[in-house]
Amino acid sequence: MTETAKIDVGEGAAIPSKNDWGLFNAWVISIVGAVAAIIYLLVAQPDPYQRLLVYLSDGIVITFQVTVTSICCACVIGLITGLGRVSKNKAINLVASTYVEIIRGIPLLVQLFYIYYALGRFLNVHDLTAAIIAMSVCYGAYMGEVFRAGITAIDKGQTEAARSLGFNGKQTMFLVVLPQAWRTILPPVGNEFIALLKDTSLVSILAVSDLLRRGREFSSETFLYFETYTLVALVYLVITLILSKGVSIMEARLSHYVRR
Amino acid sequence: MCAASQTIVDIRHVNKSFGALKALNNVSLSMSLGEKVVIIGPSGSGKSTLLRSINKLETVDSGKIIVDGQDINDPKTDINKLRMELGMVFQNFNLFPHKTVLENLTLAPIKLKGLSKAEADAVALKLLDKVGIKDKAHVYPSRLSGGQQQRVAIARALAMSPKIMLFDEPTSALDPEMIGEVLDVMVTLAKEGMTMAVVTHEMGFAREVADRVVFMDHGTIIEEGTPEHFFTSPEHDRTKLFLSQIL
Repeated sequence: MTETAKIDVGEGAAIPSKNDWGLFNAWVISIVGAVAAIIYLLVAQPDPYQRLLVYLSDGIVITFQVTVTSICCACVIGLITGLGRVSKNKAINLVASTYVEIIRGIPLLVQLFYIYYALGRFLNVHDLTAAIIAMSVCYGAYMGEVFRAGITAIDKGQTEAARSLGFNGKQTMFLVVLPQAWRTILPPVGNEFIALLKDTSLVSILAVSDLLRRGREFSSETFLYFETYTLVALVYLVITLILSKGVSIMEARLSHYVRR
Repeated sequence: MCAASQTIVDIRHVNKSFGALKALNNVSLSMSLGEKVVIIGPSGSGKSTLLRSINKLETVDSGKIIVDGQDINDPKTDINKLRMELGMVFQNFNLFPHKTVLENLTLAPIKLKGLSKAEADAVALKLLDKVGIKDKAHVYPSRLSGGQQQRVAIARALAMSPKIMLFDEPTSALDPEMIGEVLDVMVTLAKEGMTMAVVTHEMGFAREVADRVVFMDHGTIIEEGTPEHFFTSPEHDRTKLFLSQIL
């Protein structure tokens, strides 16, 4: 593990650059194409597609629920982990680091199975709860690393200036360091949001009726595999694109103090 | 508070090492209230480390530092409270980029001294007027020149009404044409009676303002005296050599 000041934007859907507001960028083409394709299918072949969309709507709601709840929990866990990782307290640092190492070393699907089936023997975890716990714990560790990188990327002079004014360590972190770190953190965190959204499709393996599982149920009854998975893919794409645009707008908002 | 002593900073036999490098070697220095001490010396001589140890940005390995009657390394001393009395100005300004100029000045007074926003704003605007950039109160630091940023940084430190101001090479990161405007502010401050410790390479400033000039090299104080003594008849060869190189 090397300490890098610059945060690498990892895989996942590209967050549109805030300078790229032109009509013909990848984001506009994708969203217009996806929405147009959905509308076309609904209008041209109302029989399976309208029925399908109604059937999938429950799943869309569940996918939203899992995504939003997991993002909120993962952010809280990530912030605590990130702060732990930069803590001077050896014990706290060790706990946070160990958590990150363990979670990052186990595939998300295995974590899902573990929490639902393995721990399910001892605890009675509801399937939706198990899914949200697994997603939050897993992405909390990833986000912890993003938070850590964002915090360490802030110039040491900022901390020194704040401490010199008389702020204690906590005040320095929350009044000076973190407000600046958000800006560097946001693009990679946004990527994590999008990756998380896509990974929620894994919970369909448990008994959670998310978008993908509803699609599977529909297609196994009707044998309309092509139609079903085309629409499922398009719906995921639209949600992901909207999320990535939201992140890019927030990024532009947070950069207001940077000289352009 | 402390027995009406004139001494406000008392550094006694401090040592500080960074690994194998001895940054401070048995350094003692005291400052009295209202005194302006200018610390000069080649880079790596320990002058910045000495200054930064006064407000405990560096913790010394041994020795004692008494500021305003309090031992800064005593665990019972509330260092955060003590730091409010020590204004610090950095080489790289270190303004808070996410805050406007005015917010840079009011953040600490509001959060630490409990001033209302209106009170803090009034104090801040007065200080900005003093350093000559009142019209920039509502812009972000990134819009300012280096000289302007450093003047804001001085005003930010002054907003806490410190007893002592510490300057760590305040003009070293500035373009030559901006050095004057920062030094002017510092000269004004000195004339108002502020207690100041300044690490600098600006010999003109030292000559004009200093009550005492301290020359450091290799972590020790080689020579100290009045500017007259210093610039006309330095005693040590090393001081002479340094002055001949820099003047």
